[in-house]
Amino acid sequence: MAEERRPPSQGSGGSGGGTGRRPKRQFFRKKKVCRFCTDRVDFIDYKKADVLRQFVQDRGKLLPRRITGTCSRHQRWLSEAIKRARNIALLPFASEL
Amino acid sequence: MEERLYDLIFICRPDTPEPEVDKILATLEQAATEKAGKVEKVEKWGTRKLAYRVRKNREGYYVYMVLRGTQGAMIAELERRLKVADPVIKYMTVRLDEEMKRQQKLVARRERRLARRPRKTPAPAAGEQTAAAS
Repeated sequence: MAEERRPPSQGSGGSGGGTGRRPKRQFFRKKKVCRFCTDRVDFIDYKKADVLRQFVQDRGKLLPRRITGTCSRHQRWLSEAIKRARNIALLPFASEL
Repeated sequence: MEERLYDLIFICRPDTPEPEVDKILATLEQAATEKAGKVEKVEKWGTRKLAYRVRKNREGYYVYMVLRGTQGAMIAELERRLKVADPVIKYMTVRLDEEMKRQQKLVARRERRLARRPRKTPAPAAGEQTAAAS
């Protein structure tokens, strides 16, 4: 945590997130914003399989938050929605490859 | 008892003739009204690809319904009928009223916040005007 806190105090205009890990701060990592928050989604519909499919891997696993940038609240709703969609065969539990 | 909202989706075998599906729908509707519920919406999504094989089928005829009811016995009865119905290969009921309530709360909160914000921004401007006037 301490390491993460240091860079912003050194560099005046540090980017908010993602840079803390690298000692050399050459790489800018653009801060990901939760897609559902920008769209102001209050309910993630389990019936919209094409939307949900963007948040699972090719094999059908849930994508972690650190990849998609979804906020914790929406990730919680999203995982619920994906599990429901799986139940009614809209999404795979594990797609055969 | 408060009213509950349910989503009910069932999948028929793809080779089921349309009248057969309508027959199942009719029996479901009758069962729902018997248990003091009502069918709010019925959507036939038609034949879709299944994400995985269900009873050896790769495709299925989806039917989506929205139900309102006050007793859980209604759902029990509907699910029993779906289990018995031959062409139905899969079904799922989801209770949604609590989530809808949560959603409405969020919408209301946002509206309240939005209503408050415009008031906050013109306020300093109004203050400046009065200052300038005096």
